[in-house]
Amino acid sequence: MKFHIVKRDNCPLWKKCCLYLAAVVIALLLGGALLIALGVDPVAYYTRMFTMGTIGNKIAYKVWINYLKELVPLALVSVALSLAFRMRFWNIGGEGQFILGAIAAAFVAFKTGAGLPNALTLILMCLAAMLTAGIYGLFVAALKVKFGTNETLMTLMLNYVALYVLMFLGETKADWNFFLDAGSARPVFASFTELASFPGIPMGGKFSLNICVILTLVIGILVFVYLKYTKQGYEIAVVGDSAGTARYAGMKVNRIVLRTVFLSAALIGLAAAFKVGTAGILSTSITDDVGWTGIIVAWLSQLNTGVIFVVSALICVLHYGSTVAAATFSQVDSSFANMLQGVILFLVLAADFYTRFKIVPVKKGGK
Amino acid sequence: MKKILALLLTLTMVLSMAACGAGETAETEAPAADAPAAEAPAAAADFKVGAIYINSKNDTAGYTFAHHNGITTAMNELGLDPATQLVIVDEVPEDKEQVLSAIDTLVGEGANIIFGISFGYIDAMEEAAGEYTDVIFSHATGYKSNETNFNNYFGRAYQARYLAGIAAGMKSLETGNNNVGYVAAYGTEYAETASGINGFALGVQAVNPEATVFVKNLGAWADEVNESAFAVELIESFGCGVISQHCDSAQPQIAAENAGVFGCGYNSDMTPDAPAAHLTAAIWNWNVYYRTAMEAAMNCGEAANFVSTMGTPAYYGGLAEGFVDVSPLSDNCAAGTAEAIEAVKAMIVSGEWDVFSGTKLEIAADGTVTKVEAPLVDNAGNEIVAAGGASVEDGVITGTMNYFVAGVQEA
Repeated sequence: MKFHIVKRDNCPLWKKCCLYLAAVVIALLLGGALLIALGVDPVAYYTRMFTMGTIGNKIAYKVWINYLKELVPLALVSVALSLAFRMRFWNIGGEGQFILGAIAAAFVAFKTGAGLPNALTLILMCLAAMLTAGIYGLFVAALKVKFGTNETLMTLMLNYVALYVLMFLGETKADWNFFLDAGSARPVFASFTELASFPGIPMGGKFSLNICVILTLVIGILVFVYLKYTKQGYEIAVVGDSAGTARYAGMKVNRIVLRTVFLSAALIGLAAAFKVGTAGILSTSITDDVGWTGIIVAWLSQLNTGVIFVVSALICVLHYGSTVAAATFSQVDSSFANMLQGVILFLVLAADFYTRFKIVPVKKGGK
Repeated sequence: MKKILALLLTLTMVLSMAACGAGETAETEAPAADAPAAEAPAAAADFKVGAIYINSKNDTAGYTFAHHNGITTAMNELGLDPATQLVIVDEVPEDKEQVLSAIDTLVGEGANIIFGISFGYIDAMEEAAGEYTDVIFSHATGYKSNETNFNNYFGRAYQARYLAGIAAGMKSLETGNNNVGYVAAYGTEYAETASGINGFALGVQAVNPEATVFVKNLGAWADEVNESAFAVELIESFGCGVISQHCDSAQPQIAAENAGVFGCGYNSDMTPDAPAAHLTAAIWNWNVYYRTAMEAAMNCGEAANFVSTMGTPAYYGGLAEGFVDVSPLSDNCAAGTAEAIEAVKAMIVSGEWDVFSGTKLEIAADGTVTKVEAPLVDNAGNEIVAAGGASVEDGVITGTMNYFVAGVQEA
């Protein structure tokens, strides 16, 4: 028997939700079977995972602070990537753009942090990060526009260039290298928390809401409006659907591509500035894989800005919760947590496929 | 449509690769959780130990394994149950934010003492010690501490290295090959590696003054491919007959076995890995420290008294405490090795003599040990300690020993 893959038009929302839910349930069942094999009670494990260990935790407010610290860069990077993806520009370079943005922000913090007020330093850090990351993205866009290079490969490879620059800075002890802690015999990144740090807004108790959370929400709304109600947003959609049509309609396609990719990469740089401005230090694992995870989030959200916030919030529960749950079960290490995340994401992506396509058997005798 | 499908597939693959990059199937082996001893003190029942590891807690060899083994052994000795009283966040990179987040998780779980095993956790642990004053923080291989609830710990591995050096020296005399090889994670960049190489070389020379120790620098703490390749190069190009190592895996010992030469391992007894080649390994008994620290933590009343109960903010145990040692000598060792090592070990344990001093030992082939006053000289000819002088300070061994002693040569 042979099968055909047929496009499915207008899959109703309830059906989509059921498919996604089924994917998560199957993944959890698979994970549960493995947990039982390891001798762990799956219900207890999943309860800890989905509550992120807040139950019975004397410092539960810390869980929320740490959770939001993970959520902000992921949500913002996903929103940024969705801009480029809408135009069918496959920016796989989130990692690299994030890293260069982080380095630029740290550079500004070290160089100007001592002389300028905190707020001004933070603004300069954001601008520097946006500009650096934006140019890194623009470089690839320019190559594509000028020479028709493949942006997927270019952005992917430039990730590693950026990563090795960061590793070089992190491992090279030298007089010029102000990124490192001069007081340590082994190379260790220096902290600049005292030079610049994003403030938190006290919310009662010990919990304080980092200002980056609010800024990220505001940017999300701005991007939503930009895509939906502005001429430029419309242009992105048209170029995404058909560059030929856009050209025929008199749009300057090259300019639109360059502008949008710059904006996408710059917002990733901003996410990096938020991250280092809160952490107060660089690290070779500064991205925490948001450049990769952001692609998944943008894709799962079908590039819908509002949905991106919901999906990234859920993915962060999964990510943070897995680590917390693994801590208390001696058989389960964080590799298991990573694997479970991988299974869930893989199956959800598979479900996503079934919302767009259906598989029908080819009738006998038919073509 | 095909295009979209292809893209979807590519993306899915890229994404899942990224998502599961580090995702390996968890090992099913649980740490040996022996039943808690019956005479557990009353306070021990709700005592919780927290740990932050650089690799997986289910590792079966290597650095994280050695620490995990040490912690669970100490807990079992003290009647604590690792299954319920030990919380671990593992695979934590040396990233301040992620270490702080791991500490928050462990404190949230009620940990009374938190061990961080990797050097790069240093700043996060210092900061957390200031924030959580009711929790004890203990950092391996670091140099920061405070006067209340934050200490660091490390051991005199150079003493064990010296003893392993004696075994290597004896072998070189027996085989008549004066070339000894050493596969090292780093060279003079870090005092940790340099002091280990120097301790080993002085041990070799105490037996065989003609011997040269050739050092190959990996530039990484773990790199299995080059650990093997560098050992082969030392054997083939430098004619080394004994291969010592400062790296995570047993690859150099296996390479020695394959080439029909001998070797000294590190971290754990590597005789099972290379039964025909391995002589003895410089090993760590981490449980010695972990037991001391946990006992102090349980008995000190409140966290602020921890450092004063320990007596020092920087625990630096050696052969005397049993914190470092050499693994049981294999049958490959030359005659007289056991006697010589026994005699020198006694001198170090009693405090009568130490490795980096102005007195060197001369060990005869039959294992008799003679003390001779002689300067400690680096391989550029500079005098480090005058003849008859006292041992260098501990701070030099842990921090500023960035030279090789005479007789060591970079290969």
